[in-house]
Amino acid sequence: MNLFWRELKASRKSLIIWIIGIVAMVGAGMGKFASLSGSGEAMVELMADLPKPLQAVLGLNGLDISTVMGYYGMFYLYLVIMGAVHASMLGANALAKEERDKTAEFLLAKPISRMTILLTKLSSVVVQMVIFNAVMTVSSIAFAAPYADGGASAVTSDILRLMLGTLLIQLLFASVGMAIAAAGRNPKRAGAWSAGVMLLTFFLSIAIDIREGIEALRFLTPFQYFAAPDVLNEGLSAAFIVLSIGVTLAAIAVTIAAYRRRDMQV
Amino acid sequence: MNMYLYELRMNRKSAFIWMAALAGIAGLFMSMYPTFAEGAEQFKEVLRTMPEEVLQALGLQIDSMATLLGFYSYLFLYVLLCGAIQAIHLGASIVSKETREKTADFLLAKPVTRSKIIGMKALAALTILLITNVVYFGAAALIAETVQRESFSYSAFVLINLSLLFTQLIFLAVGFAAAMLLPRLRTVLPMSLGVVFAFFMLSAVGATTGDSKLRYLTPFQYFDRAYIVQHKEYELEFVVTGVIVIAVCALITVIRYLKRDVHVS
Amino acid sequence: MPVIELNGLTKTYGGARGITDLSFTVEEGEIFGFIGPNGAGKSTTIRTMLGLIYPTGGSAKIFGKDCLQHGTEIKKEIGYLPSEVFYYDNMKVKDLLQYSASFYKKDSRKRMRELAERMELDLNKRIDDLSLGNKKKVGIVQGLLHEPRLIILDEPTSGLDPLMQQRFFELLEEENRKGATILFSSHILSEVQRLCSRVAIIKEGRLIALEKMSELKGSTYKKFKLAAKSDVDASAFGIPGVMEWKSEGGEVSFLFKGDINEILRRIAGLELENLWVEEPDLEEIFMHYYESREGAGA
Repeated sequence: MNLFWRELKASRKSLIIWIIGIVAMVGAGMGKFASLSGSGEAMVELMADLPKPLQAVLGLNGLDISTVMGYYGMFYLYLVIMGAVHASMLGANALAKEERDKTAEFLLAKPISRMTILLTKLSSVVVQMVIFNAVMTVSSIAFAAPYADGGASAVTSDILRLMLGTLLIQLLFASVGMAIAAAGRNPKRAGAWSAGVMLLTFFLSIAIDIREGIEALRFLTPFQYFAAPDVLNEGLSAAFIVLSIGVTLAAIAVTIAAYRRRDMQV
Repeated sequence: MNMYLYELRMNRKSAFIWMAALAGIAGLFMSMYPTFAEGAEQFKEVLRTMPEEVLQALGLQIDSMATLLGFYSYLFLYVLLCGAIQAIHLGASIVSKETREKTADFLLAKPVTRSKIIGMKALAALTILLITNVVYFGAAALIAETVQRESFSYSAFVLINLSLLFTQLIFLAVGFAAAMLLPRLRTVLPMSLGVVFAFFMLSAVGATTGDSKLRYLTPFQYFDRAYIVQHKEYELEFVVTGVIVIAVCALITVIRYLKRDVHVS
Repeated sequence: MPVIELNGLTKTYGGARGITDLSFTVEEGEIFGFIGPNGAGKSTTIRTMLGLIYPTGGSAKIFGKDCLQHGTEIKKEIGYLPSEVFYYDNMKVKDLLQYSASFYKKDSRKRMRELAERMELDLNKRIDDLSLGNKKKVGIVQGLLHEPRLIILDEPTSGLDPLMQQRFFELLEEENRKGATILFSSHILSEVQRLCSRVAIIKEGRLIALEKMSELKGSTYKKFKLAAKSDVDASAFGIPGVMEWKSEGGEVSFLFKGDINEILRRIAGLELENLWVEEPDLEEIFMHYYESREGAGA
């Protein structure tokens, strides 16, 4: 438990900054909806007719941005990105920082097994992501509710679904980040590799949106697992839930196997 | 000179990676242009019937949408995104390197003034960004030549690509200033990604809602590509805004770098 | 029962660093010196024992238990002071020590105050603001706090002033009297000489000598230094047992191992201004060890 609290305390400040940033973004984004909602009708019709690549170019992807949820779904992607950035950095740094800051010798000379260290760090990462996600959920509902006809109750279930998807993506990126830190040789590079993976899948996701005919590649990028239009129209895809959990568990397995055999660089 | 060369050498590898990434994004997206253009052509007629103000709000002119420059304008946003991450990360890491890696007592004990150190670092960062842009421009021009269906305005193409350099300069300055204002920063990457994506999201919200004031807040919107394609020039007020942002950040950086106490351990 | 037992311990990296086929044992209650120049493999050995890195061959046992399988259990009884002092951000000395203590199921608050007082360490300072020497003190207190049965010290004295070094050594001797075994790694021979009962000498990853301190510096060698009125004829001293012959101006020095009468007879033939006969310090023996090994190897 001491390590757990230490971990949380050490990342308290950065978590607070992230949370403030997220709340500000959700607030600013939904605030803009007011100025938009007037100019609605014509746009709605137009949107429906646009071919998919063009919609992608406009950042819409089959969303009706004259409705609250359609508009929210438009910038939901950016919330997912923020969650992914936070998660992959957190996951990679949770393990890499002990070696980077030369505290590995302190920690590993203590009567505590590597497995315990790993699981404790993992749970502290999960807790931070859940907090991050909860704040995102609550602020989304709070800022979206004033524009919805039925108030908070009208948007809550959709937002909860979207945020559950986000949490799964966060967990995936965090576990991949940890796996990279555990298996990679250079702890200073873990963050960069983790960010690289994240950006690569992000660009792949955009490519899939623009180009018709490569939807089959969707399973390769978590940003496609719970895309807002799909979730809003059909709910969370069971296949992608299973896939994301599967990838997460696989990454954790890699982390465990690699971290147990790791030569600490000090 | 030694410091300048040292910094170049230290950042060589990551600069190559970024060049490859930027060119890769341009290549990836431009390879989709032919199919995209065919699909878009068919809807050009449909789009023409829509009211102008609606389309204006969407940030892209209908006529240009299916053209190479129109498509390039769109994908260029992602090139900018990548370039911005490179620039802010380069800026923040190059000036905070000594405090992060505890080598400040090495460098500051050498017979050089701090202004020379920061000057050399800035020069090295500028050089890297310049080379990156030259390489990227070469790659982009080559790709554009390959996929073009009809001739396009070369001056607009140059102006669009040049806006990568300007946007990067803004983010470089922001990176410098951020590192100075957050002296206890241990890892630069999370800050860099967080700041860039926050601006990126603001940019997307601004583009969708057509809010003109929001444009001043995000450097991603300073060089509007639809405007460039149409007028073959930049919008003066945003160029001025960009210069002001760079100047303010540079000022913060220089003052802090010269005055601050350097904690080594 | 041996406290530390290394059996053919080997760790190879891609590069030059590493250790090769290292075997020795440290008995309970010993203060064991582990010496060698920088980069000899001392830290690698210690880090392997602590499970920070994994051996490529051989095994290490502490308290009779394998370091790989029983690492956690073993570490309950180990106090470790790394050569480079660890560094956690934003912590006060007290916080760090309490955090360290929280890993061992012992109440160490009283001992923390005692140790801090003896080492003149301010518990309320932030670690970031401490000097190297003071950080080292934090490391020392942290390593001794839970009264470990085995204390492992990796270059512990760097950064400590002579007074603090003295206190630290007294502290170690006290712990040793209470039954703690100490592994003391260093390249500074005089401090090893002062504390240790046995030493292992390591170079380029290999054990080159394992000796009792008393034997190492004791009766075997004598160091002669003489200032002669006229030039000394080196050939007159060309007998077996004379080594490290150095002649500078009128001063001559050498090490001698053998019949003391033999050498005195030869010295008696000289017109002397002054004569010193000393126990050679470890440094000289150490150098001699190196040179002779290299000679044998070449």
